[in-house]
Amino acid sequence: MIIDFVNYAINGALLGLLYALIAMGFVVIYRASKVFNFAQGELVVLGGFLQWWMVVSMGLPMIVGIPLAFVLAGVVGLLIERIFFARLVGESVFAMVMVTIGLLVLLRGVVLVAFGPQVRPFPIVFPLQPLVIGELMIPTNLLWGGVLTVLAAIGLSWFFNRTRTGLTMTAVAEDHQVALSMGISVKRSIAFAWVLGCVLSTLGAVVFLSGKSLNFLASEIGFAALPVALLAGLESIGGLLLAGVIVGVIQGLATAYLDPLVGGAVGSVLPFAIMLLILLARPTGLFGWRTIERV
Amino acid sequence: MDPAGVFAVRYSQDRALLRTRKQWFALAVFLAALAALPLLVGPRLIAVANIMLISAIVVVGLQICTGYAGQVNLGQAAFMGVGAYTAAVLAERTGLSFLLTIPLSGVAAAGFGFVFGLSAARIKGFYLALTTIAAQFVFHFAVLNLPGSWLGGSNGATVPPATLFGYRIASDTSLYYLCLVCTVIMVYGAFGIVRSRFGRAFIAVRDDDVAAGIMGINVVATKATAFLVGAFYAGVGGALWAYMLRFVAVDQFTLFNSVFFIAMIIVGGMGSVVGALIGVFVIRAIQELITSLGPELAASVPFLGGDIVFASMNVFLGGAIALFLIIEPKGLMHRWNIVKAGYRLWPFPY
Repeated sequence: MIIDFVNYAINGALLGLLYALIAMGFVVIYRASKVFNFAQGELVVLGGFLQWWMVVSMGLPMIVGIPLAFVLAGVVGLLIERIFFARLVGESVFAMVMVTIGLLVLLRGVVLVAFGPQVRPFPIVFPLQPLVIGELMIPTNLLWGGVLTVLAAIGLSWFFNRTRTGLTMTAVAEDHQVALSMGISVKRSIAFAWVLGCVLSTLGAVVFLSGKSLNFLASEIGFAALPVALLAGLESIGGLLLAGVIVGVIQGLATAYLDPLVGGAVGSVLPFAIMLLILLARPTGLFGWRTIERV
Repeated sequence: MDPAGVFAVRYSQDRALLRTRKQWFALAVFLAALAALPLLVGPRLIAVANIMLISAIVVVGLQICTGYAGQVNLGQAAFMGVGAYTAAVLAERTGLSFLLTIPLSGVAAAGFGFVFGLSAARIKGFYLALTTIAAQFVFHFAVLNLPGSWLGGSNGATVPPATLFGYRIASDTSLYYLCLVCTVIMVYGAFGIVRSRFGRAFIAVRDDDVAAGIMGINVVATKATAFLVGAFYAGVGGALWAYMLRFVAVDQFTLFNSVFFIAMIIVGGMGSVVGALIGVFVIRAIQELITSLGPELAASVPFLGGDIVFASMNVFLGGAIALFLIIEPKGLMHRWNIVKAGYRLWPFPY
C-alpha cells in the first residue's frame, strides 16, 4: 500500500515536471514580451511534428534529426515574430494576446495541412522500459524530462535574473512603453521570446511524446500545463518546478485514489480547481510579481 | 455622428436609437427582408441562417462581455452549453413551453457565468480569461461525470420540439422565425444595455479599471455583471441551439467554438453590437462557403484530400484574426463608419 502511494506520488511529481517544462515555454514568452500565449499547446504539437518529419518521414538518424527539428522550431518562432508581432510593437498588449488566439487556430490549420490528421508514431527517444528501483517503477522519459526541466529552469532563471540581456527583457515584461523609452528593443525581446518559447515547446514535445503516437490533439497538454504556470506566478521560472511538483503530485494521487470513487477524470479537472482556489487566495501565484498599478 | 442638418431639439430625440426617417426606413426594409427570407431562398440556406441567428445571439453577448466590458471570455461555448442542457432537461422532464425554457436557460447560464465572473473580485486581466478556460473544463467534466440519467453523459440528450398552441416548431422555416424573433429581442436589449448606466460602466472598466474604480464604479460588480449578461445571451442561444438540433452533446460546445466566437467579434469590430452581427455573418458565410466548396475542391485537386476542408478553414480563420488585428484592429464596423462619415459629409472633406 505505502509503496503504491510513493509510486503514484513520484510519477505524479515527474508528470508535474513535464507540465512545468511545457509551462516554461509559456512563461518565457510572457517574461520577455508580456504576452499570454494561448497557442502554447499548438507549439508543442508543431515541435512534435517537426521531429516526426525529420526522423520518421525524412529518415534522418535521431542524432541529426532532432537537433535539426530544434533549429527549425527556432526558425518558426522567428517567423511568427516577423510576420505578426513585429508589426504590433507599440499597439496594446491586448491585441498581441488576441493574435495568439488567432495563432492557436492558424497553427492547427497549418499542422493539418502540412502533416494531416492521421495518428503518427513518434520516434522512441528515451528507452521504453521504466527504471525499476526495488518496487518503484519510474518511466524513463519522464525521469529524463524531469532532469532536463530542472536544468532548463536553473539556466533560464539565471539568465533572466542575472544577465544584462535577461534583465532588459524583464523590463519589457514590465511595460513596453517604458522599455522602449529606456532604449530597449521590444522587437528583439519578443523575437527572442518566441524563438526560446518554440524551442522549449519542442523539448517538451520530446519528453511528452517519446515512444507515443502523435496527432494534432496532443495540443491539449498546453491547457493542462496552464495551472502550473499560474500557480507559480507568470513571472517566475524557478517557481515552476515547485508548482509543477505540487500540481503533479495532487493530480497523480487524485487519479489513483479519487477516480475509482467518482468514475474518472477528477485528475484532469482538479488542477483547474487548484488553480482557481490559488488565484482567489493569491492572484499573483506563489512567486509572481506584485505590481503597483497607477492611473 | 448625425447627418448634416439633423439636430436634436428634444431630449427624446437625443435618446433615440434611430434618428432619421431614412434610418427607420432602412431598418424596416432590413427586417422585412429577414422576414421574407424563407420565401426567397431554399431550405439549405434557411438552415444556415438559423445557425447564423443563434450565433448572433451568443456573439452579441460576448461582445458585451469582451467588446464593451473588456473581459476576455474563452468560456462562451461552455455558457452556451449550460443553456442548451438546461433547455433540454426542462423540455424533456417538465414539458415546459419554450416560452419559459428559453429565458430559464438564459438564467441558468447567467448563474454559471456569474460564478466565474465573481472571481474578478481577486483576479484581473488575462488571469481572468484563464479562469473562463477553467469554466470550459468544469462544464465538460460536469456533463460527462454527473450520473448518466441526469444529463445523458457522453451520449448526449434529446430534446422534444418546441410547440406553440399545438403547432410543432420543427421545420427549418418555423425554427427560423423562432430564432429571428429571439434575435431581434436580444439585439434590441443589447442596444439598451450598452447605452445604459451599466453599459457606460462597462466601457469605463474596459478603458481603465483603476480609473473607473476611482470614479466610484464598483469594478468587481461591473465585471461580474458583464459575465452575467454575456452568459445570459449565450444561454438563450444555447436553448435555441437545443431546439434546432433536438439533440445536445458535450462535443458541440468546445473551447474551439469559443475561439470562433472571439474571431467573430474581432472581424466585426470590438465594442459595437452591429459589428458583432457583421462578424457573425461574414465568418459563418465564409465557413459555409468553404464547407460547400471544399468537396468539389478536394475532388478536382485529388492530392489535397478531403481533410483539407477542415484544415483550410482553420488556416483561413486564424489568418483572418491575425490580419484584422494587424491591419484593421477595430474591425469591419470601423471601416463602415469611415465610409458612412465620408458619404454624409460629401462633397466636403470634413
